[in-house]
Amino acid sequence: MNVFLQQVVNGLSIGSIYALMSVGYSLVYSIMNFSNFAHGGVIMIGAYLGYFCLTQLGVPFILAIIMTAIGAGLLAVSIERIVYSSLRKRNAPSLYFLISAMGASIFLENIIIASPIGPTFRSYPAIFSSTPIMLGNTALSRIDLLMFIISFISLILLIFIIEKTKIGLSIRATAFNIKGSTLMGVNVDKVIFIIFLLGGLLAGIAGMLFGMKYTVYPQMGEITTKSFIAAVFGGLGSLPGAVIGSILLGLIETMSSAYISSQYRDLIAFTLLIFILIVKPTGLMGKSTEDKA
Amino acid sequence: MNKRLLLIISVLLVFTMIFSACQNTDTGKPSEEETIKIGWIGGLTGDFAPWGTCESNAANLIAEQTNANGGILGRKVEIISYDTRGDAAESVNAVKRLITQDKVIAVLGPNTSGQAMSITSVLNEHKVPNIATVATNPTVTVQTDGTVNPYNFRICFIDPYQGAVAAGYAADRLGYTKGAVLYDVSSDASQAFSEYFQQTFIEKGGEIVAVEGFKGGDVDFRPQLSKIKEANPEVILFPYNYKDVALSANQARELGITATLMGGDGWPSEVLMEMAGEAIEGSFIVNHLDIADPVVKEFTEQYVEKYDIKPEINAYLVHDAFKLLEAAIIDANSFDTVKITESLTKVTVEGLTGTIRLSEEDHNPIGKQAAIQEIVNKEYVFKERYSPY
Amino acid sequence: MGWDYVIGILILSGINLMTALGLSLLTGFTGLFSFGHAGFIAIGAYTATTITMKYNIFPESMLWLQFYLALIIAGLVSMLVSLIIGKLTLNLKGDYFCIATLGFGEAIRLILDNVSYFGGARGLPNIPTVGTTTITNVIIIDIIAVICLVFIINSRHGRNMTAIREDELAAQTIGINVFKYKMIALAISAFYAGIAGGMLAHYLGFIQPIMFKMIKSTELTIMVVFGGLGSVSGTVIGTLLLTFLPEVLRSFYNWRLVLYGAAIIIIMIARPQGIMGGKEFRIITFFKKIGRKEEVKS
Repeated sequence: MNVFLQQVVNGLSIGSIYALMSVGYSLVYSIMNFSNFAHGGVIMIGAYLGYFCLTQLGVPFILAIIMTAIGAGLLAVSIERIVYSSLRKRNAPSLYFLISAMGASIFLENIIIASPIGPTFRSYPAIFSSTPIMLGNTALSRIDLLMFIISFISLILLIFIIEKTKIGLSIRATAFNIKGSTLMGVNVDKVIFIIFLLGGLLAGIAGMLFGMKYTVYPQMGEITTKSFIAAVFGGLGSLPGAVIGSILLGLIETMSSAYISSQYRDLIAFTLLIFILIVKPTGLMGKSTEDKA
Repeated sequence: MNKRLLLIISVLLVFTMIFSACQNTDTGKPSEEETIKIGWIGGLTGDFAPWGTCESNAANLIAEQTNANGGILGRKVEIISYDTRGDAAESVNAVKRLITQDKVIAVLGPNTSGQAMSITSVLNEHKVPNIATVATNPTVTVQTDGTVNPYNFRICFIDPYQGAVAAGYAADRLGYTKGAVLYDVSSDASQAFSEYFQQTFIEKGGEIVAVEGFKGGDVDFRPQLSKIKEANPEVILFPYNYKDVALSANQARELGITATLMGGDGWPSEVLMEMAGEAIEGSFIVNHLDIADPVVKEFTEQYVEKYDIKPEINAYLVHDAFKLLEAAIIDANSFDTVKITESLTKVTVEGLTGTIRLSEEDHNPIGKQAAIQEIVNKEYVFKERYSPY
Repeated sequence: MGWDYVIGILILSGINLMTALGLSLLTGFTGLFSFGHAGFIAIGAYTATTITMKYNIFPESMLWLQFYLALIIAGLVSMLVSLIIGKLTLNLKGDYFCIATLGFGEAIRLILDNVSYFGGARGLPNIPTVGTTTITNVIIIDIIAVICLVFIINSRHGRNMTAIREDELAAQTIGINVFKYKMIALAISAFYAGIAGGMLAHYLGFIQPIMFKMIKSTELTIMVVFGGLGSVSGTVIGTLLLTFLPEVLRSFYNWRLVLYGAAIIIIMIARPQGIMGGKEFRIITFFKKIGRKEEVKS
């Protein structure tokens, strides 16, 4: 029983990392209808930004996380300007966006390797004690707790922006129908700018938390494949779906490691994914629109 | 219309680049008669980038030192490094380029078995020797039917040996009877190490209580570790590279696992100490060399001075590979690749990782004993040279 | 000049081209985007290797026949698997299909990692390379593959597939069995990928599951898009260019992939429809164009 509880905690903790990453994916997907593979690159750069803020500039943690978020947000926006905007103006199909995004992610990963930063693994300075909080026999790490809190706050803020503000209204309108909202006077360029900024902010926070919990290295963007899967699980374009999908994926992975076979973990997770998609072809909470590809 | 022009120009540019790349070595050949070229391949990008970069850097450093001392047989040495991303198909291309265009006399590296095994046919065709640095799969040098690959050599020990040393030491010297393994299913070296560890550990009368796997690129091992904790082993083998070691060791301690940790040649690194200094305190590792050895220290300092970063274990191995090659060239008194290949198994050199002599039967180093080290106060403390046989 | 090196790259281009042709049909003519073709390549590679190494029925002198037989079986096995996968996933749309294929590709790799019959993660060494994947064989196979593909595309079936890419709903309305044609496209692309896998295994002489990572699938798709969707000659040109590009950049040391990434972004900005942009390269029209230009000049 104790082990089971520990595994639930493990699963939730893995899931919450996926959640922070997949929300950014889903946000972009809801407007642009393509999977932004450069998101992993932004998360990776975010992790490095946070690392350098803490070690080189020596700023306090809260300030570092804000600086990182803003830096990553600006990066995401500039990627949109440089890589996607011309495609967008031509109404290119989503496949072209996908390819450009891959180009961008190859570029970002390798520019870190080639630059003086280099391919070495870096670890964040210890800000929080690594001794876990013990609940009976179940270990709950402090960073996990912090991650839960920060993820929760940022998701609440995000939902607040989307549901309660004027720009949120335009975002929802654009997500619903891009042409229609343009006709109604929504500035789509501005909406896309905001979307990428928000996605980037989240990516920065996710990258920094990921770096703190694990480590920082140029290939860490690869882990976002998992959050992409989680977003699909939950239903692309749906924010609550992305969160639920992520938590679910974390739990499924953990439980299949724990009770079936850790060697075949991904096989079990993927089989389940395919079956969920067969039953619900647009994920758990996805909107069923015609695909624009 | 303008764009079409731009496109045509860029396509033309690419092709001129290809052909200029093909031709410059051709025309430049006679004038560069004085320098001899040695190739290096390996992953400078991709998953093996930290190790590959270090290896390539170290090779350049040694070449510089050799040149400062008058070169080999009076000729200057030049290292040509090509990136393979750790990919087998790329390593074939890189080696072909090294041999047919750059006209290298030998190839050092690569840093994985997969790449070393893919280039065998190219080496055989062109009769150019390769000295692999950390390719630990037995079939790199000896085929499954027992025939020796004539141009593949290696400087490191092989998987069965490393596994047997770790298991033997855990069972015989440390007296453990309950062992567990966490390994990377997608890594050849990790899979082999863990298999041979289990085999020897059971032969020595121990019991393997848990075997768990993860997939390369994973960062969270707590599900597997929680399971291992339940099985309550005395010793856990972590047979993979130090990034994963750091993460899994930290997470293991976080979960309250107190068992002794053991590892192999993926562990030694200064970065590991930064990442998981406390978690790996008291662990035992199987290493190629004793880092505290004054000769080794000297080279480490030279490396740090030049590149401003601590070297990985690969630096020492590529050093020894280079020294062995140098000795073979001097022994052959020629830059002919076939003669060098013949001499490779005849010479003995004092390397950083011990006395090195390659066997004629299997092209592996003879009698190279693994160093067992314990991690005490964030230092690798040499325990003994140990052989399980 | 290092001819052996150039020929080596050409062989690799030829191998990549096999998969790219299949993907060209799948992505360029039916609009499906796959992340899992590395899985089909892996199936092909392991099948072909098993046949040449464990079920060698021909004498030594007939190695080429054995090789061709192995390739065909490799293709067929891949195709068979694709039929099962297709049955399950082809109803999914866009990114959902994409993720399902990603799952498939990674699952294949994981299975190969764990099955000791195929050598596990350590792979299978000592695959015969002499007299198998030679440049002649690669060119012959590629030419056959291109001709077959052109026939398929120009047939009624090919036009139906194009209709699906252009507008799936409209295609369905006029009575095209969308699912069936998607299935055919997937099966053919898997067949091609399987053959490519067989050739790759016999070119390298060694295979190991880590070679078939997701990045392999994406690289191949990039080649197809780079050449221009819906154009066979575009696929050929794109594959050649993108296989040669990393080699040209080789002397840039570790900046190589930075430039590769930048090149992809730039081509997508400058020419998002790819090099050929859906058109075919035909010698006759090429000369006609030149003729026309001269007429204008005069």
